[in-house]
Amino acid sequence: MKKGISLFLALAATAVVAASAQANHRTAASASAGVSCKSTFTLPFVTPLTGGAAFLGQEQMSWASYAVKTLAKSYGLKIKLVGGDTPVEQGATPAQDLAQKYVGDKSVVAILGPSTSGAVAASTQTYFAAGIAHLSPSATRTDLTKTVGGVKEGTPAFFRDVPGDYIQGPSDANFMIKNLKVKKVVIMDFQEPYSLGLASAVETTLKAAGVSTIRLSAPNTTTDYSAYVTKVPSDADIVFFPTQKPADAQTFAQQLLEQGKKAKVFGGDGSNDSTAFKVPGSYVSNFAPDITGIPADKALVAGWQKANPGKTVGSFGPPAYGAAQILMSAIHLACKADHGVIKSRRDVLRKVKQVSIKNWILGGTFKWSTKSNDPLNAKFYIFQIQQNGSYKLVG
Amino acid sequence: MDTFIQLTVDALTLGSVYALIALGYTLVYGVLKLLNFAHGDVFMVGTFIGFGVLQLLGGAASPNVPVWALITIITLAAMGGCAILGVVIERFAYRPLRDAPRIAPLISALGVSFFLANSMQLLFGATPRTYNTFEIGNGELYFKGFDIGNVRVPLLRIITIGAAFALMVALYILVNKTRTGKAMRATSYDREAAEMMGIDINRVIRFTFILGSALAGAAGVMFALRVPTTVAIGFVAGLKGFTAAVIGGIGSIPGAMAGGLILGFAESYTQGYVSTKWSDLVVFSILVAFMIFRPQGLLGRADIRKV
Amino acid sequence: MTDSTPHSSDTPASGPAVGQDEWVARHAERRLMRGGPLAAMEERLRAIPWWAWLTLFVGVMCLLPALSSSGYVRRVGFDTVLYMMLALGLNVVVGWGGLLDLGYVAFYGLGAYSYALLDSNQFHLHLPAYAAIPAVVAIGAIAGFLLGLPSRRLHGDYLAIVTLFFLQLFQTIATNGDSIFGHNVTGGAFGIFTVTPLHAFGHTLVVQHSGVFAVSYYYLALAFFAVIYVALRFVNLSRTGRAWRSLREDPLAAEAMGMPVNTLKLMSFAFGAAIAALTGTLFASLSASVLPLTFYFVLLITVYTMVILGGSGSQRGVVLGALVIGPLLELLRDPNKSRVIFYIALVAGLLFAFRLSRRLGLVAVATLALGFVCRAIAGAIHHSWVAGSAKGGFQHVLSYWLIIPRHLAGWIPPVTYIGVIGVALALTLVRGRLRLALLPPTLYLAAFVWDNVMLTQPDPARYIVLGLILIALMIIRPNGLLGERRVEIV
Repeated sequence: MKKGISLFLALAATAVVAASAQANHRTAASASAGVSCKSTFTLPFVTPLTGGAAFLGQEQMSWASYAVKTLAKSYGLKIKLVGGDTPVEQGATPAQDLAQKYVGDKSVVAILGPSTSGAVAASTQTYFAAGIAHLSPSATRTDLTKTVGGVKEGTPAFFRDVPGDYIQGPSDANFMIKNLKVKKVVIMDFQEPYSLGLASAVETTLKAAGVSTIRLSAPNTTTDYSAYVTKVPSDADIVFFPTQKPADAQTFAQQLLEQGKKAKVFGGDGSNDSTAFKVPGSYVSNFAPDITGIPADKALVAGWQKANPGKTVGSFGPPAYGAAQILMSAIHLACKADHGVIKSRRDVLRKVKQVSIKNWILGGTFKWSTKSNDPLNAKFYIFQIQQNGSYKLVG
Repeated sequence: MDTFIQLTVDALTLGSVYALIALGYTLVYGVLKLLNFAHGDVFMVGTFIGFGVLQLLGGAASPNVPVWALITIITLAAMGGCAILGVVIERFAYRPLRDAPRIAPLISALGVSFFLANSMQLLFGATPRTYNTFEIGNGELYFKGFDIGNVRVPLLRIITIGAAFALMVALYILVNKTRTGKAMRATSYDREAAEMMGIDINRVIRFTFILGSALAGAAGVMFALRVPTTVAIGFVAGLKGFTAAVIGGIGSIPGAMAGGLILGFAESYTQGYVSTKWSDLVVFSILVAFMIFRPQGLLGRADIRKV
Repeated sequence: MTDSTPHSSDTPASGPAVGQDEWVARHAERRLMRGGPLAAMEERLRAIPWWAWLTLFVGVMCLLPALSSSGYVRRVGFDTVLYMMLALGLNVVVGWGGLLDLGYVAFYGLGAYSYALLDSNQFHLHLPAYAAIPAVVAIGAIAGFLLGLPSRRLHGDYLAIVTLFFLQLFQTIATNGDSIFGHNVTGGAFGIFTVTPLHAFGHTLVVQHSGVFAVSYYYLALAFFAVIYVALRFVNLSRTGRAWRSLREDPLAAEAMGMPVNTLKLMSFAFGAAIAALTGTLFASLSASVLPLTFYFVLLITVYTMVILGGSGSQRGVVLGALVIGPLLELLRDPNKSRVIFYIALVAGLLFAFRLSRRLGLVAVATLALGFVCRAIAGAIHHSWVAGSAKGGFQHVLSYWLIIPRHLAGWIPPVTYIGVIGVALALTLVRGRLRLALLPPTLYLAAFVWDNVMLTQPDPARYIVLGLILIALMIIRPNGLLGERRVEIV
């Protein structure tokens, strides 16, 4: 018991110190009415940093922090990027807790993320009520920005700089129908929202065009897809494989070859990674041309690689860079309009839609759609993997 | 028919890995009566040791050594690394609790599992890693092999299945034909009595952990030769191995082998013929049915408790 | 095969009392050997009745929203109260019933899903709270009862397996429940996102005001907590509670004494499950959503850590466990707070190990000196080795002592991390002077790893801490902070 008490005292002391640190922080922040643009803004990135989707969050984080490191100065801002972890295994709670944390923190005027559609749906009401713009580089669920069947989960304070599933699914399916003239397609999903949304969109379009489809569903913990490969009929043309793990798409394509099946793997933006998915003849769709192939991005990619030695450029990172850029630009505009003091977060929110970025990391110029909080004229690009492993634009 | 043969090959590949993992559970349960929840994570560490050594040897695309040596070296390295890890875990997380109430080592094992998975993420990140065995000699491990009917059984699967069976046979001989094996069986039968007969219990237990963890390391390499690995696979792999051990009768070595194969067949045929969506459910239902109607498993002894 | 419980029949006369095993008895002896002012304080604290403690505790918790207007603090407070309820429920099964239930969070999920189905657009049902809550609790209790049925035949580890697979089963059904015979029941992997807040008699319990977490849910949760606590307290003191304890201590003996062992096990499962389901109701109505993966392994480990840390079997203990772990996990998210916590824990650990002895001073001075020397040498070799970011007061002071390189070479994190674990483990093997000599380098290395490796990735680091707490606690103090002396699962 004595040990217990001393331990307890230690813990209590910890709690008190931590709480007082928090309290000090808070009073200091709420003392002034607005936030001076000379002070340091906290830019939280709400994304899965641990758990099964951590690879996605870690990649996004590395690009966002590169954006902050290289661009904040040119916008005349001091930005501190902080990670907010929303493991997909923990549902709505982390996203909602973090939303409360950021709403209460005066130095937060905009949010990067949430990266997953589920986390957006869980927290967008809170951010909207507090007037905080939140810009996701990867939440593609359609009803976050558009009304589907009378339901719209997103709020007007939610933005995304990548197009939603309503574009990717049909454009992949149409490419299969028109360019590949498919007769039979196997469609996989992995019992998690990203793949379910895409698989359903593709299946609907294909069925409408009279293509015969076979739907297979793998638990999201599946590691060995052997039996699924076996189930692919030998006359199937395409296996639509919307995974978020490019290495799985690679393995699946290899196992198809192993069994002598003619079907090609067709991956979504989640498998767009030319270092991990490179079986020749496979297809990949993405919301951007491969940024390593954009001349204007050469210095940018080189700089990022220098800051992240040993890592490869994936498809989730660059939009995160872009999202950080858009938000910094919006804060910059709000600072100008408010003469150096951001009076309210709504000022930043209003400016987000006015941002337009030349030499956009994904190519061309970035502009918002006038109808919804989606990028303008967003389209999906389709690549075929060549013998040497490079991605060639085919549609 | 072709589908059936193909699914059978799939089942054997999958099942032999499950069996190797299950053996680790069973061995430890045999001598310590402890469900080593951390075993799945030892397996995961094994896949990563294999990956690291593979990179040291130049990677799959341009290895510095011949292919057979490459696979042998990474398997041995993973087995060795995991054996050390197993001994360390036993020494520091389980041995102090040997005489504690039974819940204590179980909880400690949960802690070790959680600790290992997150430490690996801290150090090596969450990106999936693949051995890229496809790149060895233009995919010869995938395209060469022998044919059964129209189905080709590729070299890589033969290696996986063959190595697993070789290890199981070796283990069987070790346990049944050597003095150490005899000591293990004696300890498993009655620890206190064995101790009184002059058997060094600590040595036996350490040896058991070396065996079990080395098998997990080998299983890790066999698995990752074909499939990408991440730091998060330990939990599911452990669950599967542990299911196999229970189906076969936990504590029984032939049982674990049989259980692994049964689980592989159940999974493969369910996905092939019944439903992909509900395959997990079917597998778990088999397990729960076993637990309720034959808790001692296929080959286990009925648990008679003396008081 | 003999039972692994040692020496239950051949205890020597001078040994432990009947019903205790030797290991536990020795533990108790060691504790009684000590005395001093702390023990006296403990005696006095013990004299305060439990209801006074509870009132004081709930009273203090009620003040939380007054202390901070931050929605974040309130929300974390709310989450902590939910954790306390979950821990109380798990304590019934594990701490009192002595049944290792690894499917516990599935009941939490079941409660949340049940409420979501009764109060959302999924089936266009919107039951008022006074109908929904009892229904959910009943569903939870029935499910607990059903899961308990196989436990009549199983014991110990086998039960753990069945319950763990029940959790898997729940996951599979929730994830694939969007097409059960063609009906969308659970919303599948997307979950259900139209859950309505608790409402009754035309009033709705608001969740937030202009984005800031409203306190009503916090107080509601606190009220539920108090009711559960008191109810369980009485159950524990009743015949059933005593019977549970006898079951936990020795199921065979209990059965021999004529206890209805099976009924008791089932009751324990049903009680725990009902509490978890009730907690799930609060969770689902507040989150306005349910997703399958919420109710999974990480949450299970978290709740178990709370129960074990606090002391399985003790109501006060598990509440304390939740109160420590819940906020701790939140605080560790922030590198600055995490750093403060680390050094406080380090100092507390040293105090705990050495008391205020000469050796403590020796170790402290040696560690400080070692740090300055290492820092100076590293700085002299190359400036960038010590040029890591120095922001914020504490870190500024720290950067005179600790090596914080600007860039970490790729091999440093694994080598130092594994190194510090190795040295720490070695420390437990050596004794005397050698241990004393090894301690300062270990501490310094630990500080280096914490600042340079762990802090850069708070998220795996938080769970590493959780895992370490579980292991260390089991070895150093298996009965937790306030636990009863014995929890035996056979």
